[in-house]
Amino acid sequence: MPSENTQAPEAPSITLHRVNRPPAQTWNRLHANDITLTVPKISRKGDVYFALPQLFSGIETGMGDKVTEWVTSQAADARYVEVPARAVREEPIVISIDADKGEVSDAGVMVREGARATIVVSVTGTGEKATTSASLLRVIAEAGSRVSIVEVIGATDAQQHLESVGIRADDDARIDVRQYALGGGTVAMGLTADLTGRHARIDLTTRYFANGNEVLDINHVVRQRGRDTRAQVLESGVLDGAARKSLRATIDLVHGGRGSKGSETESVLVIGDDVVNKTMPVILCDEDDVAGNHGATIGSVSPEQIAYLEDRGLSRREAEQLFVRALFEDALIHAPEQSSHEATVRRAEVVLGTDVAHDFDEGFSPAADEEV
Amino acid sequence: MSRERTQVADVDRSLYDFTKSEEGYERYEDGLTPDIVRAISAKKDEPAWMLEMRLRALDLYHDRDMSTNWGPSIAGLDLDHITTYVSPKTKQAKDWNDVPKDIKDTFERLGIPEAERESLAGVGAQYDSEIVYHNMREEVAKQGVVYTTIEDALHDPRWEPVVHAYFGTLIPPTDHKFAALHYAVWSGGSFVYVPEGVTLDYPLQSYFRLNAQGAGQFEHTLIIVEPGANLHFIEGCSAPKYYEANLHAGAVELFVKDGARLRYSTIENWSKNMYNLNTKRATVGTDSEMEWVSGSFGSHVSYLYPTTILAGDRSSCEFTGITFAGATQDLDTGCKVILNGADTTASVNTKSISKDGGVNTFRSSVVVGRHADRARCTVSCQSLMLDDISRSDTIPAMDVRNATAQVGHEATIGRISDDTVLYLMSRGCSEAEARTLVVNGFANPVSKELPMEYAVEMNNLIKLEMEGAIG
Amino acid sequence: MSDQLLNVSGIIAGTEDTSILHGVNLTVGAGETHVLMGPNGAGKSTLGHVIMGDPTYKVTAGTITFDGQDITALSADKRSLAGIFLSYQAPVEVPGVPLYSFLRTVSQMRPELKTTARKFRQRVGEIADQLDLDQSFLTRELNVGFSGGEKKKIEMLQLLLLRPKLAILDETDSGLDVDALTVVSKGIEAYRTSCGGALLMITHNTRILERLSVDRTHVMVRGRMVAEGPAALIDDIDRNGFERFEGDAE
Repeated sequence: MPSENTQAPEAPSITLHRVNRPPAQTWNRLHANDITLTVPKISRKGDVYFALPQLFSGIETGMGDKVTEWVTSQAADARYVEVPARAVREEPIVISIDADKGEVSDAGVMVREGARATIVVSVTGTGEKATTSASLLRVIAEAGSRVSIVEVIGATDAQQHLESVGIRADDDARIDVRQYALGGGTVAMGLTADLTGRHARIDLTTRYFANGNEVLDINHVVRQRGRDTRAQVLESGVLDGAARKSLRATIDLVHGGRGSKGSETESVLVIGDDVVNKTMPVILCDEDDVAGNHGATIGSVSPEQIAYLEDRGLSRREAEQLFVRALFEDALIHAPEQSSHEATVRRAEVVLGTDVAHDFDEGFSPAADEEV
Repeated sequence: MSRERTQVADVDRSLYDFTKSEEGYERYEDGLTPDIVRAISAKKDEPAWMLEMRLRALDLYHDRDMSTNWGPSIAGLDLDHITTYVSPKTKQAKDWNDVPKDIKDTFERLGIPEAERESLAGVGAQYDSEIVYHNMREEVAKQGVVYTTIEDALHDPRWEPVVHAYFGTLIPPTDHKFAALHYAVWSGGSFVYVPEGVTLDYPLQSYFRLNAQGAGQFEHTLIIVEPGANLHFIEGCSAPKYYEANLHAGAVELFVKDGARLRYSTIENWSKNMYNLNTKRATVGTDSEMEWVSGSFGSHVSYLYPTTILAGDRSSCEFTGITFAGATQDLDTGCKVILNGADTTASVNTKSISKDGGVNTFRSSVVVGRHADRARCTVSCQSLMLDDISRSDTIPAMDVRNATAQVGHEATIGRISDDTVLYLMSRGCSEAEARTLVVNGFANPVSKELPMEYAVEMNNLIKLEMEGAIG
Repeated sequence: MSDQLLNVSGIIAGTEDTSILHGVNLTVGAGETHVLMGPNGAGKSTLGHVIMGDPTYKVTAGTITFDGQDITALSADKRSLAGIFLSYQAPVEVPGVPLYSFLRTVSQMRPELKTTARKFRQRVGEIADQLDLDQSFLTRELNVGFSGGEKKKIEMLQLLLLRPKLAILDETDSGLDVDALTVVSKGIEAYRTSCGGALLMITHNTRILERLSVDRTHVMVRGRMVAEGPAALIDDIDRNGFERFEGDAE
């Protein structure tokens, strides 16, 4: 069960140096390799801690061991969920984090052979107090299983959130991940997927929006160890104001993973004059019978697009906002349950205004007619 | 400026002949002391400012560490005895018999004339490359182009102030550890000055200057292209450059002024024992163009990232390169571009080939500054793996701080498709020939940018590499 | 002529390098159907874009008034909100923005069209049916991966949704495309019956006009308006081409 971690005036804290690191780094002077975070550290001496089964400690996590250590020291308990073999679990496994309370969660999900499950991590924040919340999620997807993961992070600019995910996929396991980073003063997200089994597959889609002075740090690593594995990673986002974003995506085609294919594409739309955008798409390759490719496009709305949209009544700013709106609508479409839906709408209210935030639902939900 | 060089056998190898200093500076445990640096400077009869720069750089070298979180290991370099690289008097191959067999074989296979071989192997200088070099210099002097060594330029009252104004300003000694080493012990290298509006019809080549002065391991090249001028400079050659003292820490500084154009082509084929830590940088003015064409073969370990600073508005650069890593090689190469001016454009196209356990790392950096309005940059990198024991990594980085800039990057890694090989074989090629054809085709974008004789040499080199004939 | 919806008077305009319109006059009354014809390079499309307020073209002399307002200096988005619609020859692709999202946003900006999301979805569905467009298009990105015919339908969809006072349809490319012809004809019919708005059809090929009831015809050659007349003028051009007007363009 998530624990609380609000910052008292003299709350003890520690610094997590250089976390969220990729396996291969670039020149240090670009300051794009990692992030250093100051997080609260409360003492849990004497607390009884129900830890996860041993299996999970071998899972490589996106943000790295220092963050794992810190989360396990701060969470009141680890939450373990097992989906039995061949079971189809209709109801999503929900990890709901209240950023206002600085909740920290440590969860491990075991999806047994042939089973199907959906995991949702939603982070909602509405307050103005500085807090740090975190979610550590480790997943083992056994042979033939199907796992869907949806993460929605909607914190306020006073808040900091750490999101670390580690996944191991065995033979024929299929992982589908959708991440939505919609807000937070400092958001650090790391995801590592280890495709150990033959024909294992991951589809990872990350969409992000940052504005103001927000800091967004993302690290994706896919290790393609098994034969004939597939990885498809898509990241797309909109950056406004003076947001600072750093994204590192690594496809690692490991020796022995013959027949594997990995591809990664990022597209960034910059609509703010003071945005700092750092992108590092990496392919590591140790095997010849593989195919790897990546692409990145960083730009702004083109003059032709602006002109077309202007002819339809949209000023430049309004045209740019179209893309932000589309991002939030996409998050709403893919929110499989209440808390992720909530997190998205709350954040949309702040970014797009209440009218627009609720408009999409009204258009698509079978609710009764409402007069405007 | 003429030089009495008729006795080419008198190549001044004594430049680096120093006995280890007896002064007990603990700091200089590795043997590279200020006295050695002073002696080098004195031998060259340098101005005081140059000596000061060398001494400051020496300090920087000893104070500085190399980053350990990225890049190939340089553990094979004996940094505790760095003087052996600088003063290789006991280890320099003095005799053709001491030159490794595979180097000699390569000369044979590449068809290098007998006369040149000893010169290239650094053992003698019967080759009259000096004469060719002289002729070239006289030709270009007619157009006001200066092509000489930096040492000679420093002795010329017209050029000493120019060198002083530019030398070490683009690549500062503080840049990294081996830049500092370079500035402490640099020797040899070209000084080229192209006056305003002058265009040379043919490329200037550094090949002929190879053994004109000292050991070529710490060469410094300084090229200034004045406004409206045009130059193509070719450095290196496909023949392997062999040194027992196996460290190359060179520097190339290129200044392309407003409305000027410079193309800098390189084929590097350092012998497979070499550590090639090279720093090349260009700064480009308004409405100017910079082109790099680079073929990297050879060397045991390479760190090579030609850097272009697009300082002026509407300046542009194009980088075309290929890196071939075979057995025992770990080549970390790429390109850096900094876009600072408005309406600047950059295009990077690289290819890499990995074979027989070779390790290839493409490493790039694109930085778009705040004021680079409407800047455009595309990077495209293709890697070919020829077997499953080699490695190919692509590590690009982009840092964009302007909302109107457009930056794109794409990379692919793969191998020669079986279909392609089958097709070529069905037309009569052996499997080996088919693969070589494909690889040459893969390298084509680079070879077509080079003058014919270099392109042919490069193709031959690839052929040899494919056969595994080069040790 | 203050009761005219659109009054273009003495417009001289061009790009930075070229002068294209050399003093053009044109008036269109509310609810009327006008046709603008002329040979290639006459400047017809340019005139359409200048009326829309395309910043590519600089107007150095003349005025444009629309619905009683001088819009000569007004930006394109303001003219759109005032009730002018220009359909694009090659509609621009806008990846990342689903069609529904775009339609909803531009509708909500117009007070006379503001409605609940549910009603809006219904309305869009109705228009789609009229144009024979599948509902699945709503989730697809704006103009991305649409065929030429589909792109035309999307333009007509926008026309019928936004209900402008003046629709400028630039069909110079479509004259020979059977599919596009059908789509546009259907769209115009629906537009006239449901909106009663004015229409300015730009073309150099008369086929597209076969089913149209035209109030006035204008002819442009080399950046000048050289003739104006009733619908019969079209038949004249059909038979004789533009040659006899060429002289008047000097």
